[in-house]
Amino acid sequence: MNIGTRKILDRSFTALGIGSIVVMAIALLIVLVPILTNGIGAIFFTGTVEHRKMLLHEFKRGDSETLTSDIASSDRYRSKVYQMLTGFEAELEQMPPEKKVEYKAKYAQVKPALQALLGPLPSDPEPMLTRFKYGQTRWEKAEEKLHDLLYESKWDNSNSNVMAKEYFVSRAIGFQGTSLAQLFPYVKDNLEHMLLPEFTVYWGFITDSSVDSHFFGGIWPEIQGTFFLAVGAMLFAFPLGVIAAVYFTEYAKPGFFNSMLRSANSTLAGVPSIVFGMFGLAFFINTLKVSESKSVLAGALTLAIMILPTIIRAAEEAILAVPKTYREASLSLGSTKWNTIATVILPAALPGILTGGVISLGRAAGETAPIIFTAAVSVGSAIGLADVFSSPTPALSWNIYNLASEHEAASQIRHVQYGMVLSLVTIVLLLNLSAIVLRARISKKLKG
Amino acid sequence: MADESIGAGQRTTAFVISARKRAIQKVSKKVGEGMLLGVASFVAIVVLFIFYFVARDAVPFFQLRGFTEFFTSSNWYPADQPGQFGALAIIYGSVMVTFGSALIAVPMGVAAAICLSDILPFSVRQYAKPVIEMLAAIPSVAFGFFALVVLAPLLQNNGGPMLMWAWWILVSPFLLLGVLVVSDLLTNHVKDPQHRKQLHMLFLVVFALIAIFLLYKVGTLLYGIQILTGTNALNVSIILSFMALPTIVSVSEDALQSVGRDIREGSYALGATRAETIVKTILPAASSGILAAVILGIMRALGETMVVWMASGNSSHIPEPWFNYLEAIRTLTATIAGDMGEADQVTGSARYHVLFAMGLLLLVISFISNLVSERIVVRQRKILSGQ
Repeated sequence: MNIGTRKILDRSFTALGIGSIVVMAIALLIVLVPILTNGIGAIFFTGTVEHRKMLLHEFKRGDSETLTSDIASSDRYRSKVYQMLTGFEAELEQMPPEKKVEYKAKYAQVKPALQALLGPLPSDPEPMLTRFKYGQTRWEKAEEKLHDLLYESKWDNSNSNVMAKEYFVSRAIGFQGTSLAQLFPYVKDNLEHMLLPEFTVYWGFITDSSVDSHFFGGIWPEIQGTFFLAVGAMLFAFPLGVIAAVYFTEYAKPGFFNSMLRSANSTLAGVPSIVFGMFGLAFFINTLKVSESKSVLAGALTLAIMILPTIIRAAEEAILAVPKTYREASLSLGSTKWNTIATVILPAALPGILTGGVISLGRAAGETAPIIFTAAVSVGSAIGLADVFSSPTPALSWNIYNLASEHEAASQIRHVQYGMVLSLVTIVLLLNLSAIVLRARISKKLKG
Repeated sequence: MADESIGAGQRTTAFVISARKRAIQKVSKKVGEGMLLGVASFVAIVVLFIFYFVARDAVPFFQLRGFTEFFTSSNWYPADQPGQFGALAIIYGSVMVTFGSALIAVPMGVAAAICLSDILPFSVRQYAKPVIEMLAAIPSVAFGFFALVVLAPLLQNNGGPMLMWAWWILVSPFLLLGVLVVSDLLTNHVKDPQHRKQLHMLFLVVFALIAIFLLYKVGTLLYGIQILTGTNALNVSIILSFMALPTIVSVSEDALQSVGRDIREGSYALGATRAETIVKTILPAASSGILAAVILGIMRALGETMVVWMASGNSSHIPEPWFNYLEAIRTLTATIAGDMGEADQVTGSARYHVLFAMGLLLLVISFISNLVSERIVVRQRKILSGQ
């Protein structure tokens, strides 16, 4: 090959390497940015009067006087809507039968759309589920619902070769000539007066428990459950891991037994997380019966086994990184081996060991598969510390799955899901970040 | 100082005050070491227990149903009476997403590892490493949520254009480089420089036109593709590849760094460019370590649960045709996670035990590949230190 081509190949090889790192960074951004921007919306958003109503009724929070005046002013605009509905219902009775059937079918779609937007109508009985007691609490959701009210969604199936396309038909045109036709422009123009949107900061999203399976309220039970599980796992795994690491680095003699132990460690690190879950179910719950059924204890034990190899490895590395001179100085002063380990080596290795512990804590908090069968429930209130031995708990990681994939109205509560993902990612990344910072400081210190 | 003359053996006795105390010290030392050993062997016991308890619940399935149905049939109807437990399509789904993610993650991961160990200066590397660590730290359920809520609708609505852009951006540089190399190689034997230059230009133009035509044709073909469901094997493969990347990068970087400086310098001294040094010298020397990295990365993808459970569509059939990544599939891990809730209530039935059979399959695969990758790393370390 001639020199020019070789040079170009060399440059493009460099570009390939740098490119793949850039792609990784971009992938990280692409994953994190939507989570961040949408997740923040769970706390900072434009809330409507319905949100304030919900807070007062469900959590006894907020100023009831201003709320009453807000409700009164919004009711002035809403009452016209309700008048139009009753007017139309009366008109409907006087229509000829065919028209009556036609309009009744159309009207049957308008009413629920309006209920979803503004909450129950004055003539409705008190709804059973909390989710139907209030209208849209968030302004951007209200705008979506307004669109549902104004336009009817239809699917274009005319061309069988391509996928059906959605298109929208204005409902106002469907009601042309009846008294209801004026409803649509009226709602569109006066929605702001009816819902009174204002910028809301809802810290309760973190500290409140959920109302009616996450339609309203916050995620405190999940955060607490994640905390219990992760810390519980650390309580078991950290001491065991550090002691095992001391054995491996200080006492183990090379040989078949030692290499077998090391193989076991790396095997344990490679076991798929779902298999840990199965093992937790078959061993801790079905065989040892640490609890009747799922419990925080069983979940924490399962997670502890999962993070044990990581802790052992990190602790080993930290102990091996302690300069030899420390050990020699201590031994030369006449202290025993155990004394040296306890008073010199472990304190010197502590930051490194903690780094590994912090990363493992993050991993335990983020894992889902091991707790599916051992500790997680989808709905539930926050449990007390005394209940950890017997009762299961909701946890961030499991509830993200549950709300996104199994919730009956998953697309309605996207903001809650994003908020949960953001909380989990924040917890895990903050733990990892602190580990990175900690490690940077150690390496600086060791360099002197 | 007088101490300097005292030997090691004498020193230990010098500090012991009485025989009794010495005995106590000896016993407590033995007891302490024994306890340490006990804790350290805890890991091995746990591994044995995992194998035993998963196998204990898996064996009854094979006793009840035998092996043939599980491995050769694609009929997965565990809830029927009597149930059908053909896991072939599920195993195939696992293989499919694992292969797909490896296809993306291995070249990228190895390239990134090379870049980290040989190309980037230290100051830049410091900032690149946390990126990889953060990618490794993001919980799998967050990736799954991203795949389900962000990527799946994107693929479903703009699948064709996205595939076309991916094709153009990813393939065109390689194709054009290929054109350059091929035309160079073809004209290499021509002696007359004037003649060679002309021939080179001619080849370049012809091949470049062919390459551009190919790019355009396949691009428009991809543009026309309609993706029926966004939760499919492609989606999962992309996300899994990002989850496998950190493992591949960090393990292969270790392997590349363990190749000594002298080998690199020898190659440079012979006049090789950096790319040639890496491809022809360092990569072969580190190949077994990279293989171990690939195995570990693949295991990460095979054992991953949440992403595939949320975003693979969970439809247990072999796609038509078999390489169609745009169809929904189902994997072993997702089946275990999804079916255990219902099967647990009927503990003792084949429906419960079949899930443990799948778990055992995963466990055995992960055990074997772990052993293999460990042996490979040990062997490479021996070879490299022997040189």
